[in-house]
Amino acid sequence: MVIQKEKKSCGQVVEEWKEFVWNPRTHQFMGRTGTSWAFILLFYLVFYGFLTAMFTLTMWVMLQTVSDHTPKYQDRLATPGLMIRPKTENLDVIVNVSDTESWDQHVQKLNKFLEPYNDSIQAQKNDVCLPGRYYEQPDNGVLNYPKRACQFNRTQLGDCSGIGDPTHYGYSTGQPCVFIKMNRVINFYAGANQSMNVTCVGKRDEDAENLGNFVMFPANGSIDLMYFPYYGKKFHVNYTQPLVAVKFLNVTPNVEVNVECRINAANIATDDERDKFAGRVAFKLRINKT
Amino acid sequence: RKTEIYSVELSGSGDIEKTDKGHDKKYGGLKKNCLERKTHQPKEELKKELDLDDHKLSNEELETKYGTNIITGLSSTRAAELLARDGPNTLTPPKETPKIIKFLKQMVGGFSILLWIGAVLCWIAYGIQYSDDKSSSLDSVYLGSVLALVVILTGVFAYYQEAKSTNIMASFRQMIPQQALVVRDSEKKTVPADQLVVGDIVEIKGGDQIPADIRLLSAQGCKVDNSSLTGESEPQPRSSEFTHDNPLETKNISFFSTTCLEVSAPPAGTATGMVINTGDRTVIGQIASLASGVQNSKTPIGIEIEHFVHIVAGVAVSIGVLFFIIAVSMKYHVLDSIIFLIGIIVANVPEGLLATVTVALSLTAKRMAKKNCLVKGLEAVETLGSTSIICSDKTGTLTQNRMTVAHLWFDSQVFVADTSEDHSNQVFDQSSATWASLSKIITLCNRAEFRPGQESVPIMKKAVVGDASETALLKFSEVILGNVMEIRKRNRKVAEIPFNSTNKFQLSIHETDDPSDKRFLVVMKGAPERVLEKCSTIMVNGQEQPLDRSTAKAFHTAYMELGGLGERVLGFCHLYLPADEFPATYSFDVDTMNFPTSNFCFVGLLSMIDPPRSTVPDAVTKCRSAGIKIIMVTGDHPITAKAIAKSVGIISANSETVEDIAKRLNVAVAQVNKRDAKAAVVTGMELKDMSPAQLDELLANHSEIVFARTSPQQKLIIVEGCQRQDAIVAVTGDGVNDSPALKKADIGIAMGITGSDAAKSAADMVLLDDNFASIVTGVEEGRLIFDNLKKTIAYTLTKNIAELCPFLIYIIAGLPLPIGTITILFIDLGTDIIPSIALAYEKAESDIMNRKPRHKKKDRLVNKPLAVYSYLHIGLMQALGAFVVYFTVYAQEGFRPSTLLNLRVEWEKGYVNDLEDSYGQEWTSYQRKYLEWTGYTAFFVGIMIQQIADLIIRKTRRNSIFQQGLFRNKIIWVGIASQVIIALILSYGLGSIVALNFTMLRPQYWFVAVPHAVLIWVYDEVRKLAIRLYPGSWWDKNMYY
Repeated sequence: MVIQKEKKSCGQVVEEWKEFVWNPRTHQFMGRTGTSWAFILLFYLVFYGFLTAMFTLTMWVMLQTVSDHTPKYQDRLATPGLMIRPKTENLDVIVNVSDTESWDQHVQKLNKFLEPYNDSIQAQKNDVCLPGRYYEQPDNGVLNYPKRACQFNRTQLGDCSGIGDPTHYGYSTGQPCVFIKMNRVINFYAGANQSMNVTCVGKRDEDAENLGNFVMFPANGSIDLMYFPYYGKKFHVNYTQPLVAVKFLNVTPNVEVNVECRINAANIATDDERDKFAGRVAFKLRINKT
Repeated sequence: RKTEIYSVELSGSGDIEKTDKGHDKKYGGLKKNCLERKTHQPKEELKKELDLDDHKLSNEELETKYGTNIITGLSSTRAAELLARDGPNTLTPPKETPKIIKFLKQMVGGFSILLWIGAVLCWIAYGIQYSDDKSSSLDSVYLGSVLALVVILTGVFAYYQEAKSTNIMASFRQMIPQQALVVRDSEKKTVPADQLVVGDIVEIKGGDQIPADIRLLSAQGCKVDNSSLTGESEPQPRSSEFTHDNPLETKNISFFSTTCLEVSAPPAGTATGMVINTGDRTVIGQIASLASGVQNSKTPIGIEIEHFVHIVAGVAVSIGVLFFIIAVSMKYHVLDSIIFLIGIIVANVPEGLLATVTVALSLTAKRMAKKNCLVKGLEAVETLGSTSIICSDKTGTLTQNRMTVAHLWFDSQVFVADTSEDHSNQVFDQSSATWASLSKIITLCNRAEFRPGQESVPIMKKAVVGDASETALLKFSEVILGNVMEIRKRNRKVAEIPFNSTNKFQLSIHETDDPSDKRFLVVMKGAPERVLEKCSTIMVNGQEQPLDRSTAKAFHTAYMELGGLGERVLGFCHLYLPADEFPATYSFDVDTMNFPTSNFCFVGLLSMIDPPRSTVPDAVTKCRSAGIKIIMVTGDHPITAKAIAKSVGIISANSETVEDIAKRLNVAVAQVNKRDAKAAVVTGMELKDMSPAQLDELLANHSEIVFARTSPQQKLIIVEGCQRQDAIVAVTGDGVNDSPALKKADIGIAMGITGSDAAKSAADMVLLDDNFASIVTGVEEGRLIFDNLKKTIAYTLTKNIAELCPFLIYIIAGLPLPIGTITILFIDLGTDIIPSIALAYEKAESDIMNRKPRHKKKDRLVNKPLAVYSYLHIGLMQALGAFVVYFTVYAQEGFRPSTLLNLRVEWEKGYVNDLEDSYGQEWTSYQRKYLEWTGYTAFFVGIMIQQIADLIIRKTRRNSIFQQGLFRNKIIWVGIASQVIIALILSYGLGSIVALNFTMLRPQYWFVAVPHAVLIWVYDEVRKLAIRLYPGSWWDKNMYY
C-alpha cells in the first residue's frame, strides 16, 4: 500500500499553528481551554508542592541521622593523603628565578597560608602541649565540649618560615621551600603512638641526582603526635595542622625533577596502587635559571 | 467408467468447494445465472496479460515451434541449453531485501542514530583532549566504544529476532521438491520439476501438480482443479482438443501449480503434454509478479514505534541542545559541554526498549503460533489487534469444510440433524418406519467407502473414498446405524448406475437382507425434482400412499424451505421389484435398463450443508462486541452464503437485508430505504457494476455485509473500499488469485491447510487450522500486546527522567555527578530488561474484547498522557527518591548537601588532594572518586528500587493492582528478582572492578528509596481510583494513558 501523505502548503501549516496557539472557536490556548489550563496549573502546583515537601521531609529525616560534629562513616579516609603548599596547577612547582612574577603568586599564597601559624596568633589561641603524646580531650560527660588545639609556631619552620626572609621562602634564589601537610581526618591517631616523619626522595635515580640537597623543618621532617587526634572543624575550631617544610638547596636548574614525599608512620600505608596520594605526595620541581 | 469426481478425503475434510458447486446441478430451479459470470470475470482480467496461441497449433506446428519431438522428446543437450537460457522452472521468490541491508537498517534505525552520534562525539571529545594533552584519560574512548557496542548488540539482537521469525515461515514454506516425468532422448526420466524447459514432453498422473504450463497432447478423462488460479472450484475437464480461443478456457492447456485430479485414460492412466512456459513466464508466475508489485505498507505498530521514537528522540535532542547551550553560556568548557550532551542523550534514550519490544512481540507471536496463528513479520502481531474489519472467506474458515446432513424431511415433517463437529447426538425421531426405509436407501445407494485400517479413528475423522455428499451420507448413516459396510454386505448389490449430470440421479439394485423376501430392492437418490418425477407413491409413516397433489405440494414446500436455508437437497425413493418378474437369477443390465425406472415410492428428502464450525458463532459475537466488522466474501451462492452468515451471526438474527424488508412490506426492492437495512448481501455481479463511491456507501451504511459469488479479484476491490474507510483490514484467502488482496490488506491471512503457496507467501499470517475462531484469539493477543507495550514503554520511559535529572542538576547546581553514563547503561540494558519483558505477560484488564478497535490516528501507542505521566509524575518522583539516596551516601560520608553545591569544579580536579568536607576532613582525589562511584551505585540502587514500584504500578492502567492480582503474573516477580540480583551482583560481586564504577553499598542504603517507592505505588493507586470513579472527567482525560 502506498501511504498517501497529504502535502500541506506552508500557509496551511502556519494556519494550523495559529489555530493551535489560539483557537477562537473553542477558546483554546495551546490546545486547552482556560479552565483546563487553570486546572492543570493548579494540579502541578499542588503536586509539585507536595513532592517538594516530601523530598524535604525525607532529606530532613536523613539529615537527622547525621551528626553535626563527626561524620557517620569514615571508611574512605583510612589512609590520609599528603598535599603540598603552594598548591599549584597539577602540582608543578616551577620557579623562574629571574622572573619574579612566576613565583610571586606562590609566595602570596604561602604568606596567606602561613599567617595563622604566626607565633603571636598561636600563643593567643592555642595551648602549649606536651610533645610526643596525643592530645586527647575526652568529652568527660559534657556533650560536644569544645576542644583546644596545640600550638604550631611559624618559627618552627626555620628558614622556611618566611619571617624576615628577603628570599621569599627561597623562591627568589632558586632554593624554594615546599610545605608538606597531612590531610585532616577526624579521630585519626596518626603514627599509632610512635613518632613519625616525612621523607622526600627523587622519584627515579636521575631525579635523585638532580634533586640535590635539601633541609627539612622541623628537623627530620618529624610530625609530633600532639597534633592528633583532630576533632573536626566544629569542635576543634583553632586546630593548626602540623607542617613539614622542605627547602631544596641545589636543585639542578632547568630540569624537571619528580619529587615524592611520604610519611613514615606505623598506621599509614603508603603503597596504595590506586590512590597515588595516600600517605604520600608527588610533585614536579623545576628551577629555571638563565 | 467413473464420471463423478472422487477424491480422497483426509480426516474428514476436503473438497467442499467442489460440492458447493455441484449444488448448481443438483438442485435446480432456485438459481441460474451467476455461475457463468463468476468463472468468466476473473479470466477477463487475466486475459489481457495472456499472449498465448499454442493451444491453436497442431502437434506438428508445436514440434517445429519448440524444436522438439513428441515421441522422443528433447535431447539432454538441448534441454541443458534451454535451461541455461530460460533459467530454472521456478517462480522467482518475491524480492527480499538483502540481509546486509536489513542488518544495516537495524544499525541505524530507531535510537541507534542518536547513540552513534553520542559515540562519535565521545571520540571527537577524546581527540580534542588528546591533542591538548597526550596523557588524557581514555574514559571517553571507552564510553564511545560502549555506546557503539550497545548499538551493535541491540541491532544484532533485533536482527536475529526478526530473522528467527522469518525462518519459522521459511521452514513452513519449504516443500518437498517436485518431480516430473519427462521424455528426453527417447527415454522417460524423472527429473526435478525445476529442471523442465519449454519443449519438454511430460507425463502427468492423477493427483500430480502440473509442473509447468503445458499444452496437452493426449489426455482422456483428465480433470484439473483450477481453483487456485481462477477461483473456479469445480474440476475442469481437460483433453487434447482445442476448444476455445481463450487460452484459459481451452481444454488443451493446463497451468503450472494447478492440480490434475484424475486421468482415466489408457495407457496407464497418464496424460502427455508439452511444456510451453516455465517459471515466471507461466500464468501463475505472471500473477505472482503482479502481487509482488503491490507494495507492503508500514504496519500500524511500526508507525506507532516510529512515532514514539520521534517523541523520545525529540525530547533527547532538544534537552541535550538546550543544556549544551546553557552549559556553554555558564562558561563550561565546550569539551565538557559535549560530554554533558552525550550524558543527556544516553540518559534519554531507552537503549533496551526496542529490543524489549521485539522480544515482547516475538513472545506474542509464539503464543499465537500455539493458537494456530503463524505470524510472519513480528509487527503483524499487533496489526491483527487493531483490525477493524475482517474480510473472511466462508468455506473452511467459517465452515467445517465438509458436507454434513443438516435436515431430513419424511412423514411430511422436517427433522433437524446434529451438525456439530462430532455428530454426537442425533436426536430426531427415528421410530417411524419411513426412517427405516430412508436409512436403508441412504446406506445402500452410496458408493463411498471408508478407507481400510482406521478402526480406532472416530467416525467423523475417518478418511473416505468418495465425493463430499456421499461422504456426508456415509458418515451420517454410520453414526446412526452402526456398521454400514456390514449392512451393505447383507444387502448385496447386483447392479448400479452411478450419478451423472444428465441423469441427475444414482440408482442401485440390491438383494434384501430378509431371507424370506426374495424381491430385489431398487434404491435411488438424486435431485429431488428428478426423483419425484419417477415416483407415483409416497411413504407416510411406513405406508405407501399415492402421490397426490397435496403431498406433492408438501414436498415442494419442504424442498423450497430446505433450499432456502442454502442447503443441498437430495431426494430418496425406492422400489421393490416383484419376485415373479425379477427372479433371483435375473441379470440386470444397466446399459439397456432392463428394469423399471419409474413408479417408485418417494421416501424422503435429506439436505446437507457445509455447517459452520461450532466455535465460529462465539467468535463472531466476540468480534462484534470488540467492534470488529466482519464481511463475508465467498464464491458461493448468495442463499447459501446468507444462510451460513445468519447461522454464524455475521448477519444477526434480527437484521434484515433490503430484499427482506421488501418482502416483508411487500414492496419493490427499489422502494426500500437502503439505510433501514442493517445487512446486505451483494453479489459479485452487483459489485462489478458499482462505482467506488457506491461501494463506500455500501460499506459505510451496512454493518453486516455478505459478498457472494465474488471472484478472488473482487476481494481486492472490497479491501480497498474498506481501507478508504480508514479501517485496518484483515483478509483471509487461500487461492493464488487472493494474493494481491492479501498483500493489499493491512494483514493478509492465508489458510494453512487449503492455502496455496502464493497466498501463504503474500500473507502476513498463516492460519494453521483454517479456523476463523483462531483469528479472534489472534485479535485478542494483538490487542493485549498493544496494551502491554504501552505498559512496557511507560515503565521504560519513567526512569529516563531519573537518569536525566542528575545531569541537569550536575550542570546547574554543580553537584558531583550523581550517576555515570555507564551506570545508566546498566539500568537500561541490565536491570530493566527482564521486568519490561515481563509486562508482556500481563493479563488483560478485563475489557479487552469489549471495546472498539483502536483508531489508527487517535489511539496512539505513546500518547500525551503516557509521556507526561511517565516523565513529569512518576519519573520526577523517582528522580527525587534517587537523589535522597545519593545525598544520604554523601552526607553520611562527610559531605552534606550544602557543601556539595557548586563543588563540582574542585571535586573533579585531579591534583586537588585535600578537598575539605563538611567536617573539616580532607579528601584525596581518589577518595573522592570512590565516593562518587558509591554515589553512582546509590543512585542506581535508588532508581532500581523505585523501578520495582514502577513495574508493579504498570501492571494495570485503570484497575487497581489488587483487582489485577499482585501475583497472577509470575514473570513480573521473576523480573523483580532479576533486577535485585543484577544490582546485587553489580554492587557486591563486581565491587572491585573499577572500570564499571560500582562499589559495595552499605546494606541500609538499599532501603532509603523505599518510602518514595511506596509513595509511587500509593499515588498511582489514587490516580487509578479517580479514573475509575470519574470516567470522562478532566482527570480521566489527562491521567489515563
